Amino acid sequence: MSLVLVRIATALYAVAAVLYVAFFSRPRHLRLASAGFWALLVGFAVHAGAIGAGCAAHGGREFFTLRGGVVLAAWLGAGAYLVLARLYRMPSVGAFVTPLLLVVLTPTLFGESDAPAVPAEVVRHSAFHVTAAVLAVALFGIACGVSLMYLLQEREVKGKRFGALFSRLPSLDALDQLNQRLVRVGFVAFTVALVLGTVNAVALWKTAWSWDPQVVSSVGIWLLYGAMVQLRHTGWHGRRYALLTVTGFVVLVGAMLTLRVVPGATRHSGSYGTVVQAEGTE
Amino acid sequence: MSGRTLHLVGLSHHSAPLEVRERLALSGEALRDALVELRATSGVDEALVVSTCNRVEVLVYGEGEGAARAFFTARAPDAAAHLYAREGTQAVRHLFRVAASLDSMVVGEQQILGQVKEAYGLASGAGAAGPYLSRLCNRAFAAAKRVRTETEVGRGITSLSQVAVELVEKIFGTLTGRAILLLGAGKMGALSAKALAALGADRVLVANRSAERGLALAEAVGGVFRDFAELPHLLTEADVVIVSTGAPAFVVTREMVGVAMKARRRRSLCLIDLSVPRNVDPACGELADVYGYDVDDLERVVSATHEARQGEAGRAEAIVQVEVDAFEREREARAALPVLAQLRRHAEQIALAEAERTLAHLGGALDDRGRKSVEAMARAIVNKLLHGPTARLKAAASSGDTALPGAAAQLFGIEGEAREPAQPRVEDKPPGAAEGGESREDGVRLKA
Repeated sequence: MSLVLVRIATALYAVAAVLYVAFFSRPRHLRLASAGFWALLVGFAVHAGAIGAGCAAHGGREFFTLRGGVVLAAWLGAGAYLVLARLYRMPSVGAFVTPLLLVVLTPTLFGESDAPAVPAEVVRHSAFHVTAAVLAVALFGIACGVSLMYLLQEREVKGKRFGALFSRLPSLDALDQLNQRLVRVGFVAFTVALVLGTVNAVALWKTAWSWDPQVVSSVGIWLLYGAMVQLRHTGWHGRRYALLTVTGFVVLVGAMLTLRVVPGATRHSGSYGTVVQAEGTE
Repeated sequence: MSGRTLHLVGLSHHSAPLEVRERLALSGEALRDALVELRATSGVDEALVVSTCNRVEVLVYGEGEGAARAFFTARAPDAAAHLYAREGTQAVRHLFRVAASLDSMVVGEQQILGQVKEAYGLASGAGAAGPYLSRLCNRAFAAAKRVRTETEVGRGITSLSQVAVELVEKIFGTLTGRAILLLGAGKMGALSAKALAALGADRVLVANRSAERGLALAEAVGGVFRDFAELPHLLTEADVVIVSTGAPAFVVTREMVGVAMKARRRRSLCLIDLSVPRNVDPACGELADVYGYDVDDLERVVSATHEARQGEAGRAEAIVQVEVDAFEREREARAALPVLAQLRRHAEQIALAEAERTLAHLGGALDDRGRKSVEAMARAIVNKLLHGPTARLKAAASSGDTALPGAAAQLFGIEGEAREPAQPRVEDKPPGAAEGGESREDGVRLKA
């Protein structure tokens, strides 16, 4: 993927973030928010170009690295937010999502882009698996941001602090609803990723289940979010739900980073197929 | 100040008690008649009456405040003690401050501008407002608009029921599909319930110990009467509970709410206690998903608004001052315009007369084109000569300098009234010392 294009996209996200934050501090100027939306949209398009260029050059192998995954997650997150911005009239959410994009993307801007030697067979099989998983992570990330907004607003409302935050943040009910929907859609994407992953495992590793740490932690996270979707029906909402969403995302990011940083911890990085195929042929 | 100017006589919540104000307040036909009567008084060129529940003010543009004062003393002899009077720039400033809601009981309230606009509409409909008041009012409205958009004076919440609405909006968004419970028959409670029902609540439930008052209240707020004994159950049904009973102790207890929350499957519940002494145990607010507020919490928001508005008032006053100055400058500039017009007319007459004389001398030596060129040259000389003085006179007038227009009138020997120039000959101009004596008076008159 073209680092230059990612840098340009990040710069545009920075512009969007500045506009959204300016809108948050001056809520009367709605134009700032719509300018932010357009900056984000253009950034998203450039970002799409970067990802397309990457796929053309290396056949998508880059997105099997942590850096590539983060770039993809940020792109899907930006896209998801653009859809949300059209569906809900809550421009103040932009002031929380766009800076998050920047924080996530900034570490990917430095150093050389590397394309690991992922076997072509793995890449071919896993394109949708990876995309679905990364989309789920992006949606859970936005849900986490929305939950933080909920917790902030809850503190203001419950603590009778009727200040600037109180008037600028959306209503508790709106944030709670949005959070719940994001978790639900994210859970669906995550389920798809798990199903595709199982199919891939059968095809590549000749077994549906293995005690690979990535597989184990993914199932754990899937159960956690599944429980959240289920708890909603029993009346869980508001503060407890928001706390759960934040916890879920922290666990998810923690597991992801740990597994990527420790070499050889999981078959989801490093050698992938070589070991597997050797096992498979025996 | 002498001559025609703006006079304002009035009384307001600052100076007069309600009993006096309500006797003087006018509206509709009576106000129209009063305007016509004022306008018919000699020495009054234009008139405007602003009459609201907080103020009655009469503005007249003319030669004295007598007519305005008489307006009050004729209607209520004891009003004289409460009257205040302003004139000239002070009167202009007063009207601007009133329109910008800086003189209001609740500074920054938005109704007064509409009321002043209405007063102006009536005055111009009755033929009482002329060009002066039209310019004055338009400028006042523009100043008020600037104050509203450029300062925070009109921002914030000023009533308890508005605070309740704001709170409920931040918790529930809208009230579509939700129910409001009004507990007790307090006046504030009813007001708040009405304001909240406007958020789109599906149902308003009313519970009161006395069924008779409860039924009447239910009808007044468009709700359904329910028995007070049902309270524990009602807490599971309603999402917003407004409590204003006269009970001496807690009517809604923590235990009661705790049970209700389980039955509600933890759906959020907002308790607004408007009663003093409190009727809702403050400990209820400690429960998860329960949001409890009492009168003090709501009052705090209102007083914060007042404080913020007081802080912004200084900026608003500065804007008003700028607008008043601009209005006065424009008025003076307009006063300088007659001098300019006369100066030009005077010069053009001389030029044309000289051109004609020249043409007569030449006889038939020139054709039509030649004649036109001579006339054009004469006009061009006038324009070139007057270009500088015109620009400077306009600039001087718009910066409030009235001395220069006066001096110009004196220097060029222009009379106040448009009359035939004494001598159309250029040579007559320098020995115009005698004329100068006359036009000094004109200069003074123009200044006034």
